[in-house]
Amino acid sequence: MAAKEPAVAGSGGAVAQSTRSGVVHLEGTGAMKAVSSGLTQKKRFALSERTNRILGFFSPLVILAIWEVFSRTGVLDARFFPPPTLIAVEFWKMLTNGSLLKDIGISLFRVIVGFLAGTIPGLIIGLSMGLFRPVRIILRPIVSATYPIPKLALLPLVLVVFGLGETSKIVIIALGTFFMVLINASAGVLNLDKIYLDVAKNFGASRRDFYTKIALPGAMPLIFTGFELGMGMALLLIVAAEMNGASSGIGYLVWASYGIYNLKAMFVAFICIAALGYAFAEALNAIQRKIIPWRQM
Amino acid sequence: MAKDKVVLKGLTKQFMVKDQVVTALRDVDLSIREGEFVCIVGPSGCGKTTLLRILAGLETMTEGVMDIYHTDMNKPLNSMIFQDQSIFPWMTVRRNVGFGLKCRNVPDKDIAPIVEHYIRMVGLTKFADAYPYQLSGGMKQRVSVARAFANDPELLLMDEPFAALDEQNKLLLQEELLRIWEGSKKTVIFITHSIDEALTLADRVIIMTSHPGTFKATMDVNLPRPRKIAEMRGQERFNSLFMELWGILREEVRKAKESEGLAFEDNEMQPPAHDGGHTALHEEKRLVL
Repeated sequence: MAAKEPAVAGSGGAVAQSTRSGVVHLEGTGAMKAVSSGLTQKKRFALSERTNRILGFFSPLVILAIWEVFSRTGVLDARFFPPPTLIAVEFWKMLTNGSLLKDIGISLFRVIVGFLAGTIPGLIIGLSMGLFRPVRIILRPIVSATYPIPKLALLPLVLVVFGLGETSKIVIIALGTFFMVLINASAGVLNLDKIYLDVAKNFGASRRDFYTKIALPGAMPLIFTGFELGMGMALLLIVAAEMNGASSGIGYLVWASYGIYNLKAMFVAFICIAALGYAFAEALNAIQRKIIPWRQM
Repeated sequence: MAKDKVVLKGLTKQFMVKDQVVTALRDVDLSIREGEFVCIVGPSGCGKTTLLRILAGLETMTEGVMDIYHTDMNKPLNSMIFQDQSIFPWMTVRRNVGFGLKCRNVPDKDIAPIVEHYIRMVGLTKFADAYPYQLSGGMKQRVSVARAFANDPELLLMDEPFAALDEQNKLLLQEELLRIWEGSKKTVIFITHSIDEALTLADRVIIMTSHPGTFKATMDVNLPRPRKIAEMRGQERFNSLFMELWGILREEVRKAKESEGLAFEDNEMQPPAHDGGHTALHEEKRLVL
């Protein structure tokens, strides 16, 4: 496709050139030919795009259909991979008896509170590290040393310190998102052209102005990358955090289904996690378009 | 005669580049009167930008005395117009122009009319709510000019603000600058490497030596105001001033080329990697033409 495009543009240019310089008629018809062939190329291009969209829509359905057939005929072990229709039935059952919504609700609460608890300090410290060299010099070694510790490894410690209640789940998610936002916010400020800091200084910006008018909006595109990564991290951690000492939540659902060998319910949990991830990504995208209107998309 | 606005005595600036001392500016003496429009010209790399950054408070001097007289404490002392794209991409034209006022905590209701006024002055009323990515290079520099004037400083520092623009845009912006400035009568220090530009705008042109920069000569431009660029250019007086100025400058440009071996970018933020001009000492003379 990409190779065809310049050919079309090239023939258009030839037409314009031949008419402007008023060359012989013969060359004009040659150019016309090129244009008409360009049009048919465009039409073919449009058709294939529609097919692409149709393919993109149906391909998951095709895979589900194959899964269904294989599972029913015994090619796939139905105990491990129950047929999608049965999963759908289970899904409906759990949805109508309210247990699924309760699990989603509690996980959503933990993810959102944990996300905010990690994001806000991550943002403030990250921006400060980007703006002020001394802060950067003091904190960078600490961040570099603690960031690579897998948050899952910290889970037992968090459980010991914060107990089995809501706090421990929120804390572990906050830890995961904190680093993602901190690192991206400080990189976002450091990537800003120095001239903006010069302008701010020259125009008498206060320390607060540096945060709110320069660092925060300027680093916003990278901060959003941090939000996206943090969200992914939060979903990963919620499942792990609800593995121990939880009696509700979407992660708990995975482990509970494992415990009673109900893999249909486990697949329902997978679908919910995927849906949550998708919804979060879409929500962040929508917010991003709203608060970064200056970004050239 | 008007009061002194800026007085520099023996201003020297040295950078450390790889354990070597590079002198960017040496013994600069300068006095600029209130309301004066001064252009500083000099060969690339002579420390013009460094000088302006010191005046703007963005850089410190190594040695010397700098006095800038702040007469009205309600006004900011200086505002700088930068050469490179310096308007904030995340603010609309309106917010960019109002930036200085906002930083000084001027109430929003007072900011709005000032901002409107200067946006109109630079002809961007239709683009008041546009973001910088939607503007051309010339329009961006207009925003930068409007931002500095809206801040209403006593001293305007302009660092080759039109150097990156094409010739037509440059002429338009020079005209606009003259028009806005002639209404305001602010003290202006304007850096340029264009002789045309210096003569078009300035009351007085200061010529700097090549690296390390110091003042070589100063020249009064006795052209009447208000100035019309189209009429000025081609006038005999303008041409003779041009030849005179070029006569003083050409030697420095040649020296700069020789001592550097290569022409390097006129960006004093990053001093030249090699310190070729260090040994070349320049005779310092002040002639008033």
